[in-house]
Amino acid sequence: MSHDHDRVHDELALRAAALEAVLVEKGLLTTDQIDAIVERYERDLGPQNGARVVARAWVDADYRERLLADGAAAIDELGYGGFEGDTMVVVENTPDVHNVVVCTLCSCYPWPVLGLPPTWYKSPAYRARVVAEPRSVLREFGLEVPSERTIRVWDSTSEVRYLVLPERPPGTEGMDEERLAALVTRDSMIGTGVPSLPA
Amino acid sequence: MGGMHGFGAVVTPGSDVVSHEEWELRVFALSTLVGTERLGAGSGRAIREEMDPAAYLRAGYYERWLWSTEQRLLRKGTMGEREVDGWVARLRGGEAVPRREDPGAAARSVEATTATDPLTSAPDARFGPGDAVRVRRMRPDGHTRCPRYARGATGVVEAVRGLDAFPDIGPYAGPEEPVYAVGFSSVDLFGPSPEGRWTVLLDLFDSYLEPA
Repeated sequence: MSHDHDRVHDELALRAAALEAVLVEKGLLTTDQIDAIVERYERDLGPQNGARVVARAWVDADYRERLLADGAAAIDELGYGGFEGDTMVVVENTPDVHNVVVCTLCSCYPWPVLGLPPTWYKSPAYRARVVAEPRSVLREFGLEVPSERTIRVWDSTSEVRYLVLPERPPGTEGMDEERLAALVTRDSMIGTGVPSLPA
Repeated sequence: MGGMHGFGAVVTPGSDVVSHEEWELRVFALSTLVGTERLGAGSGRAIREEMDPAAYLRAGYYERWLWSTEQRLLRKGTMGEREVDGWVARLRGGEAVPRREDPGAAARSVEATTATDPLTSAPDARFGPGDAVRVRRMRPDGHTRCPRYARGATGVVEAVRGLDAFPDIGPYAGPEEPVYAVGFSSVDLFGPSPEGRWTVLLDLFDSYLEPA
Protein backbone atom coordinates (compact mmCIF):
# COMPACT_ATOMS: atom_id res chain seq x y z
CA MET A 1 0.00 0.00 0.00
CA SER A 2 1.23 3.46 -0.85
CA HIS A 3 1.87 6.16 1.70
CA ASP A 4 -1.04 8.16 0.24
CA HIS A 5 -3.37 5.20 0.56
CA ASP A 6 -2.46 4.80 4.24
CA ARG A 7 -2.99 8.49 4.88
CA VAL A 8 -6.45 8.45 3.24
CA HIS A 9 -7.46 5.43 5.30
CA ASP A 10 -6.18 7.02 8.51
CA GLU A 11 -8.36 10.05 7.75
CA LEU A 12 -11.40 7.85 7.08
CA ALA A 13 -10.81 5.78 10.24
CA LEU A 14 -10.63 9.03 12.22
CA ARG A 15 -13.82 10.38 10.63
CA ALA A 16 -15.66 7.09 11.27
CA ALA A 17 -14.55 7.20 14.92
CA ALA A 18 -15.67 10.84 15.15
CA LEU A 19 -19.11 9.93 13.81
CA GLU A 20 -19.40 7.14 16.38
CA ALA A 21 -18.32 9.60 19.09
CA VAL A 22 -21.04 12.09 18.08
CA LEU A 23 -23.79 9.49 18.26
CA VAL A 24 -22.60 7.87 21.50
CA GLU A 25 -22.03 11.24 23.20
CA LYS A 26 -25.59 12.29 22.30
CA GLY A 27 -26.88 9.11 23.90
CA LEU A 28 -28.40 7.91 20.60
CA LEU A 29 -26.32 4.72 20.27
CA THR A 30 -24.30 2.60 22.64
CA THR A 31 -20.87 1.11 22.00
CA ASP A 32 -22.14 -2.43 22.47
CA GLN A 33 -24.93 -1.88 19.94
CA ILE A 34 -22.28 -1.10 17.34
CA ASP A 35 -20.10 -4.02 18.49
CA ALA A 36 -23.08 -6.38 18.32
CA ILE A 37 -23.93 -5.48 14.72
CA VAL A 38 -20.29 -5.85 13.65
CA GLU A 39 -20.11 -9.24 15.37
CA ARG A 40 -23.39 -10.38 13.87
CA TYR A 41 -22.21 -9.68 10.33
CA GLU A 42 -18.65 -10.90 10.89
CA ARG A 43 -19.48 -14.09 12.75
CA ASP A 44 -23.10 -15.23 12.37
CA LEU A 45 -23.86 -14.31 8.78
CA GLY A 46 -21.64 -15.72 6.10
CA PRO A 47 -21.34 -18.31 3.35
CA GLN A 48 -21.42 -21.09 5.95
CA ASN A 49 -25.20 -20.46 6.09
CA GLY A 50 -25.68 -20.66 2.34
CA ALA A 51 -23.53 -23.81 2.25
CA ARG A 52 -25.98 -25.52 4.62
CA VAL A 53 -28.88 -24.53 2.38
CA VAL A 54 -27.12 -25.93 -0.69
CA ALA A 55 -26.09 -29.17 1.04
CA ARG A 56 -29.67 -29.70 2.24
CA ALA A 57 -30.95 -29.22 -1.31
CA TRP A 58 -28.42 -31.77 -2.58
CA VAL A 59 -29.58 -34.49 -0.20
CA ASP A 60 -33.30 -33.71 0.08
CA ALA A 61 -35.25 -33.53 -3.19
CA ASP A 62 -38.37 -32.12 -1.52
CA TYR A 63 -36.33 -29.36 0.10
CA ARG A 64 -34.69 -28.56 -3.24
CA GLU A 65 -38.12 -28.19 -4.80
CA ARG A 66 -39.31 -25.85 -2.04
CA LEU A 67 -36.07 -23.87 -2.30
CA LEU A 68 -36.49 -23.31 -6.03
CA ALA A 69 -40.18 -22.45 -5.61
CA ASP A 70 -39.79 -19.95 -2.73
CA GLY A 71 -36.19 -19.32 -1.76
CA ALA A 72 -36.75 -17.13 1.30
CA ALA A 73 -39.33 -19.51 2.82
CA ALA A 74 -37.12 -22.59 2.38
CA ILE A 75 -34.07 -20.70 3.68
CA ASP A 76 -36.12 -19.62 6.70
CA GLU A 77 -36.70 -23.33 7.47
CA LEU A 78 -32.99 -23.50 8.33
CA GLY A 79 -33.29 -20.37 10.48
CA TYR A 80 -31.79 -17.79 8.13
CA GLY A 81 -33.49 -14.54 7.17
CA GLY A 82 -33.41 -10.81 7.72
CA PHE A 83 -32.07 -7.68 6.07
CA GLU A 84 -31.29 -8.07 2.37
CA GLY A 85 -33.08 -11.40 2.36
CA ASP A 86 -36.72 -10.29 2.26
CA THR A 87 -37.29 -12.00 -1.07
CA MET A 88 -34.67 -14.54 -2.10
CA VAL A 89 -34.72 -16.41 -5.38
CA VAL A 90 -32.53 -19.49 -5.83
CA VAL A 91 -31.32 -20.24 -9.36
CA GLU A 92 -30.06 -23.70 -10.19
CA ASN A 93 -27.01 -24.63 -12.24
CA THR A 94 -27.52 -27.60 -14.56
CA PRO A 95 -25.46 -29.25 -17.30
CA ASP A 96 -27.05 -26.69 -19.67
CA VAL A 97 -27.07 -23.51 -17.56
CA HIS A 98 -24.53 -21.62 -15.48
CA ASN A 99 -25.91 -18.77 -13.35
CA VAL A 100 -23.94 -15.81 -12.05
CA VAL A 101 -25.16 -12.92 -9.87
CA VAL A 102 -24.23 -9.23 -9.87
CA CYS A 103 -25.66 -5.88 -8.82
CA THR A 104 -24.59 -3.41 -11.51
CA LEU A 105 -26.29 -0.51 -9.70
CA CYS A 106 -24.70 -1.03 -6.29
CA SER A 107 -24.01 -4.14 -4.22
CA CYS A 108 -27.23 -6.14 -3.60
CA TYR A 109 -26.33 -9.49 -2.07
CA PRO A 110 -28.25 -12.06 0.04
CA TRP A 111 -26.80 -11.21 3.48
CA PRO A 112 -28.61 -13.90 5.51
CA VAL A 113 -26.99 -16.70 3.51
CA LEU A 114 -23.73 -15.16 2.29
CA GLY A 115 -22.93 -12.38 4.78
CA LEU A 116 -21.50 -9.13 3.39
CA PRO A 117 -20.08 -9.20 -0.14
CA PRO A 118 -16.38 -9.50 -0.93
CA THR A 119 -14.57 -6.43 -2.24
CA TRP A 120 -14.54 -7.60 -5.87
CA TYR A 121 -18.35 -7.99 -5.87
CA LYS A 122 -18.69 -4.29 -5.02
CA SER A 123 -15.98 -3.17 -7.45
CA PRO A 124 -16.73 -1.09 -10.56
CA ALA A 125 -14.84 -3.72 -12.58
CA TYR A 126 -17.19 -6.57 -11.67
CA ARG A 127 -20.31 -4.41 -11.88
CA ALA A 128 -19.33 -3.09 -15.32
CA ARG A 129 -17.97 -6.25 -16.89
CA VAL A 130 -19.83 -9.37 -15.81
CA VAL A 131 -23.01 -8.43 -17.72
CA ALA A 132 -21.05 -7.54 -20.87
CA GLU A 133 -18.23 -10.14 -20.93
CA PRO A 134 -19.15 -12.87 -18.44
CA ARG A 135 -16.83 -15.54 -19.77
CA SER A 136 -13.77 -13.26 -19.52
CA VAL A 137 -14.68 -12.35 -15.95
CA LEU A 138 -15.30 -15.97 -14.93
CA ARG A 139 -11.96 -16.92 -16.46
CA GLU A 140 -10.29 -14.48 -14.03
CA PHE A 141 -11.75 -16.61 -11.25
CA GLY A 142 -10.31 -19.71 -12.92
CA LEU A 143 -13.71 -20.83 -14.13
CA GLU A 144 -14.02 -21.98 -17.74
CA VAL A 145 -17.70 -22.52 -18.53
CA PRO A 146 -18.09 -24.98 -21.43
CA SER A 147 -19.28 -23.14 -24.56
CA GLU A 148 -22.38 -25.34 -24.89
CA ARG A 149 -23.53 -24.21 -21.47
CA THR A 150 -25.67 -21.05 -21.49
CA ILE A 151 -24.68 -18.33 -19.05
CA ARG A 152 -27.46 -16.48 -17.27
CA VAL A 153 -26.34 -13.27 -15.54
CA TRP A 154 -28.77 -12.08 -12.86
CA ASP A 155 -28.52 -8.32 -12.29
CA SER A 156 -30.15 -7.75 -8.87
CA THR A 157 -31.89 -4.50 -9.73
CA SER A 158 -34.90 -4.78 -7.39
CA GLU A 159 -35.30 -5.97 -3.79
CA VAL A 160 -35.00 -9.60 -4.95
CA ARG A 161 -31.74 -11.25 -3.85
CA TYR A 162 -30.24 -14.22 -5.69
CA LEU A 163 -28.42 -17.34 -4.56
CA VAL A 164 -26.96 -19.85 -7.00
CA LEU A 165 -27.60 -23.54 -6.30
CA PRO A 166 -24.45 -25.12 -7.76
CA GLU A 167 -24.30 -28.65 -9.15
CA ARG A 168 -23.34 -31.34 -6.70
CA PRO A 169 -19.79 -32.40 -7.51
CA PRO A 170 -19.12 -35.94 -8.74
CA GLY A 171 -17.68 -38.40 -6.25
CA THR A 172 -19.81 -37.13 -3.36
CA GLU A 173 -22.36 -39.95 -3.31
CA GLY A 174 -23.00 -41.07 0.23
CA MET A 175 -21.52 -37.94 1.82
CA ASP A 176 -23.59 -36.46 4.65
CA GLU A 177 -24.84 -32.86 4.71
CA GLU A 178 -22.04 -31.58 6.88
CA ARG A 179 -19.29 -32.92 4.62
CA LEU A 180 -21.14 -31.66 1.56
CA ALA A 181 -21.53 -28.18 3.06
CA ALA A 182 -17.76 -28.00 3.48
CA LEU A 183 -17.41 -28.28 -0.32
CA VAL A 184 -19.72 -25.34 -1.02
CA THR A 185 -17.67 -22.21 -1.55
CA ARG A 186 -18.96 -18.65 -1.38
CA ASP A 187 -18.10 -18.09 -5.03
CA SER A 188 -20.02 -21.20 -6.08
CA MET A 189 -23.15 -19.56 -4.63
CA ILE A 190 -22.47 -16.29 -6.51
CA GLY A 191 -21.65 -18.16 -9.70
CA THR A 192 -18.02 -17.09 -10.02
CA GLY A 193 -16.90 -20.54 -8.90
CA VAL A 194 -17.99 -24.13 -8.51
CA PRO A 195 -17.92 -26.29 -5.37
CA SER A 196 -14.66 -27.89 -4.31
CA LEU A 197 -14.07 -31.50 -5.25
CA PRO A 198 -13.93 -33.97 -2.37
CA ALA A 199 -10.39 -34.57 -1.14
CA MET B 1 -22.22 1.00 -14.58
CA GLY B 2 -23.10 -2.20 -16.45
CA GLY B 3 -21.18 -2.37 -19.73
CA MET B 4 -18.70 0.45 -19.00
CA HIS B 5 -15.07 0.03 -20.05
CA GLY B 6 -11.73 0.71 -18.45
CA PHE B 7 -12.01 -0.61 -14.89
CA GLY B 8 -9.45 -3.38 -15.39
CA ALA B 9 -9.30 -6.73 -13.62
CA VAL B 10 -11.96 -7.97 -11.20
CA VAL B 11 -9.69 -10.32 -9.29
CA THR B 12 -6.87 -8.30 -7.75
CA PRO B 13 -4.76 -8.72 -4.61
CA GLY B 14 -6.95 -8.16 -1.53
CA SER B 15 -10.22 -8.23 -3.50
CA ASP B 16 -11.45 -11.44 -1.87
CA VAL B 17 -12.08 -10.01 1.61
CA VAL B 18 -15.25 -8.31 2.85
CA SER B 19 -13.42 -5.38 4.43
CA HIS B 20 -9.83 -4.30 4.88
CA GLU B 21 -9.94 -2.19 8.01
CA GLU B 22 -11.83 -2.22 11.27
CA TRP B 23 -13.47 1.16 10.69
CA GLU B 24 -15.24 -0.13 7.58
CA LEU B 25 -17.50 -2.56 9.44
CA ARG B 26 -18.08 0.00 12.19
CA VAL B 27 -19.39 2.33 9.49
CA PHE B 28 -21.56 -0.52 8.21
CA ALA B 29 -22.92 -0.96 11.76
CA LEU B 30 -23.49 2.78 12.21
CA SER B 31 -25.35 2.92 8.91
CA THR B 32 -27.51 -0.06 9.91
CA LEU B 33 -28.30 1.45 13.32
CA VAL B 34 -29.11 4.85 11.86
CA GLY B 35 -31.79 2.96 9.94
CA THR B 36 -33.15 0.72 12.70
CA GLU B 37 -33.10 3.53 15.30
CA ARG B 38 -34.66 5.96 12.78
CA LEU B 39 -31.93 8.53 13.26
CA GLY B 40 -31.58 9.49 9.61
CA ALA B 41 -33.62 10.70 6.65
CA GLY B 42 -33.59 9.19 3.17
CA SER B 43 -32.08 6.00 1.85
CA GLY B 44 -28.33 5.48 2.11
CA ARG B 45 -28.23 3.95 -1.31
CA ALA B 46 -30.10 6.76 -3.07
CA ILE B 47 -28.01 9.36 -1.25
CA ARG B 48 -24.74 7.65 -2.26
CA GLU B 49 -25.79 8.14 -5.87
CA GLU B 50 -25.91 11.91 -5.25
CA MET B 51 -22.13 11.92 -4.75
CA ASP B 52 -20.11 13.79 -7.35
CA PRO B 53 -19.61 11.04 -9.97
CA ALA B 54 -15.83 11.39 -10.10
CA ALA B 55 -15.68 11.31 -6.29
CA TYR B 56 -18.00 8.26 -6.24
CA LEU B 57 -15.61 6.30 -8.46
CA ARG B 58 -12.53 7.43 -6.52
CA ALA B 59 -14.04 6.60 -3.13
CA GLY B 60 -13.83 3.20 -1.51
CA TYR B 61 -17.05 1.31 -0.83
CA TYR B 62 -17.33 2.05 2.88
CA GLU B 63 -16.09 5.58 2.31
CA ARG B 64 -19.35 6.08 0.35
CA TRP B 65 -21.29 4.54 3.24
CA LEU B 66 -19.60 6.89 5.70
CA TRP B 67 -20.56 9.87 3.53
CA SER B 68 -24.18 8.74 3.09
CA THR B 69 -24.58 7.97 6.80
CA GLU B 70 -23.46 11.49 7.69
CA GLN B 71 -25.85 12.91 5.08
CA ARG B 72 -28.81 10.96 6.48
CA LEU B 73 -28.07 12.23 10.00
CA LEU B 74 -27.70 15.82 8.80
CA ARG B 75 -30.91 15.70 6.76
CA LYS B 76 -32.90 14.48 9.72
CA GLY B 77 -31.31 17.13 11.94
CA THR B 78 -29.96 14.46 14.30
CA MET B 79 -26.62 16.25 14.22
CA GLY B 80 -25.34 19.58 12.97
CA GLU B 81 -22.90 20.39 10.14
CA ARG B 82 -19.75 20.81 12.23
CA GLU B 83 -20.22 18.10 14.82
CA VAL B 84 -18.20 15.37 13.12
CA ASP B 85 -15.38 17.84 12.36
CA GLY B 86 -15.49 18.88 16.01
CA TRP B 87 -14.94 15.30 17.15
CA VAL B 88 -12.22 14.74 14.54
CA ALA B 89 -10.33 17.61 16.19
CA ARG B 90 -10.95 16.22 19.69
CA LEU B 91 -9.71 12.75 18.66
CA ARG B 92 -6.62 14.33 17.08
CA GLY B 93 -6.09 16.14 20.38
CA GLY B 94 -5.92 12.79 22.17
CA GLU B 95 -9.47 12.37 23.45
CA ALA B 96 -10.96 8.89 23.23
CA VAL B 97 -14.27 7.93 21.65
CA PRO B 98 -16.81 7.93 24.51
CA ARG B 99 -18.22 4.54 25.54
CA ARG B 100 -21.71 3.62 26.71
CA GLU B 101 -23.09 0.15 27.29
CA ASP B 102 -26.64 -1.19 27.22
CA PRO B 103 -26.78 -4.95 26.58
CA GLY B 104 -30.56 -4.87 26.18
CA ALA B 105 -30.34 -2.29 23.41
CA ALA B 106 -27.57 -4.29 21.71
CA ALA B 107 -29.70 -7.45 21.68
CA ARG B 108 -32.72 -5.54 20.38
CA SER B 109 -30.64 -4.03 17.57
CA VAL B 110 -29.45 -7.45 16.42
CA GLU B 111 -33.03 -8.71 16.57
CA ALA B 112 -34.16 -5.76 14.44
CA THR B 113 -31.89 -6.92 11.58
CA THR B 114 -33.82 -10.18 11.30
CA ALA B 115 -37.03 -8.43 10.21
CA THR B 116 -38.17 -9.07 6.65
CA ASP B 117 -40.61 -7.36 4.34
CA PRO B 118 -41.13 -9.68 1.34
CA LEU B 119 -42.65 -8.62 -1.96
CA THR B 120 -46.40 -9.29 -1.99
CA SER B 121 -48.17 -11.11 -4.79
CA ALA B 122 -49.25 -9.22 -7.91
CA PRO B 123 -52.28 -11.02 -9.36
CA ASP B 124 -53.25 -8.07 -11.58
CA ALA B 125 -49.84 -7.59 -13.16
CA ARG B 126 -49.95 -6.12 -16.68
CA PHE B 127 -47.46 -8.65 -18.06
CA GLY B 128 -46.98 -12.36 -17.53
CA PRO B 129 -44.35 -14.99 -18.31
CA GLY B 130 -43.64 -15.18 -22.04
CA ASP B 131 -44.69 -11.58 -22.81
CA ALA B 132 -42.29 -9.51 -24.90
CA VAL B 133 -41.55 -6.14 -23.31
CA ARG B 134 -39.42 -3.15 -24.21
CA VAL B 135 -37.59 -1.07 -21.63
CA ARG B 136 -38.65 2.54 -22.03
CA ARG B 137 -36.17 5.13 -23.22
CA MET B 138 -35.81 7.52 -20.31
CA ARG B 139 -33.39 9.61 -18.32
CA PRO B 140 -34.60 9.61 -14.72
CA ASP B 141 -33.31 12.44 -12.55
CA GLY B 142 -32.15 10.67 -9.41
CA HIS B 143 -32.36 7.17 -8.03
CA THR B 144 -33.62 4.45 -10.36
CA ARG B 145 -33.45 0.68 -10.53
CA CYS B 146 -33.44 0.69 -14.32
CA PRO B 147 -29.84 0.31 -15.53
CA ARG B 148 -28.87 2.46 -18.51
CA TYR B 149 -27.57 -0.50 -20.51
CA ALA B 150 -31.06 -2.04 -20.74
CA ARG B 151 -33.01 1.03 -21.87
CA GLY B 152 -34.57 0.60 -25.28
CA ALA B 153 -33.90 -3.16 -25.33
CA THR B 154 -36.56 -5.80 -25.84
CA GLY B 155 -36.74 -8.85 -23.60
CA VAL B 156 -39.12 -11.54 -22.42
CA VAL B 157 -40.82 -11.69 -19.02
CA GLU B 158 -39.77 -14.86 -17.21
CA ALA B 159 -41.52 -14.35 -13.88
CA VAL B 160 -43.65 -11.89 -11.94
CA ARG B 161 -41.72 -11.28 -8.73
CA GLY B 162 -44.47 -9.43 -6.87
CA LEU B 163 -45.44 -5.92 -5.80
CA ASP B 164 -42.93 -3.45 -4.42
CA ALA B 165 -42.75 0.30 -3.79
CA PHE B 166 -41.58 2.15 -6.90
CA PRO B 167 -38.09 3.35 -5.90
CA ASP B 168 -37.71 6.21 -8.39
CA ILE B 169 -40.28 8.38 -6.59
CA GLY B 170 -38.91 8.01 -3.10
CA PRO B 171 -36.92 5.20 -1.60
CA TYR B 172 -39.40 2.64 -0.29
CA ALA B 173 -42.12 5.30 -0.45
CA GLY B 174 -43.58 5.25 -3.95
CA PRO B 175 -46.82 3.46 -4.86
CA GLU B 176 -46.48 -0.30 -5.24
CA GLU B 177 -45.99 -1.76 -8.70
CA PRO B 178 -45.39 -5.22 -10.12
CA VAL B 179 -41.75 -6.22 -10.56
CA TYR B 180 -40.86 -8.63 -13.36
CA ALA B 181 -37.81 -10.76 -14.05
CA VAL B 182 -37.07 -9.96 -17.69
CA GLY B 183 -34.52 -11.90 -19.74
CA PHE B 184 -32.53 -10.19 -22.49
CA SER B 185 -30.27 -11.66 -25.13
CA SER B 186 -26.75 -10.28 -24.81
CA VAL B 187 -26.89 -9.43 -28.51
CA ASP B 188 -29.83 -7.06 -27.92
CA LEU B 189 -27.96 -5.35 -25.09
CA PHE B 190 -24.35 -5.30 -26.26
CA GLY B 191 -24.29 -6.49 -29.88
CA PRO B 192 -22.16 -9.34 -31.20
CA SER B 193 -19.35 -10.54 -28.96
CA PRO B 194 -16.46 -12.96 -29.35
CA GLU B 195 -17.94 -14.66 -26.27
CA GLY B 196 -21.03 -15.68 -28.23
CA ARG B 197 -24.43 -15.23 -26.61
CA TRP B 198 -25.66 -15.25 -23.08
CA THR B 199 -28.74 -14.04 -21.20
CA VAL B 200 -28.91 -11.10 -18.80
CA LEU B 201 -31.88 -10.98 -16.44
CA LEU B 202 -33.08 -7.86 -14.65
CA ASP B 203 -35.88 -7.27 -12.17
CA LEU B 204 -37.78 -4.33 -13.65
CA PHE B 205 -40.68 -2.28 -12.32
CA ASP B 206 -43.84 -1.98 -14.40
CA SER B 207 -43.25 1.75 -15.08
CA TYR B 208 -39.98 0.94 -16.87
CA LEU B 209 -41.68 -1.30 -19.42
CA GLU B 210 -43.97 -1.09 -22.43
CA PRO B 211 -45.42 -3.92 -24.54
CA ALA B 212 -43.15 -4.94 -27.45
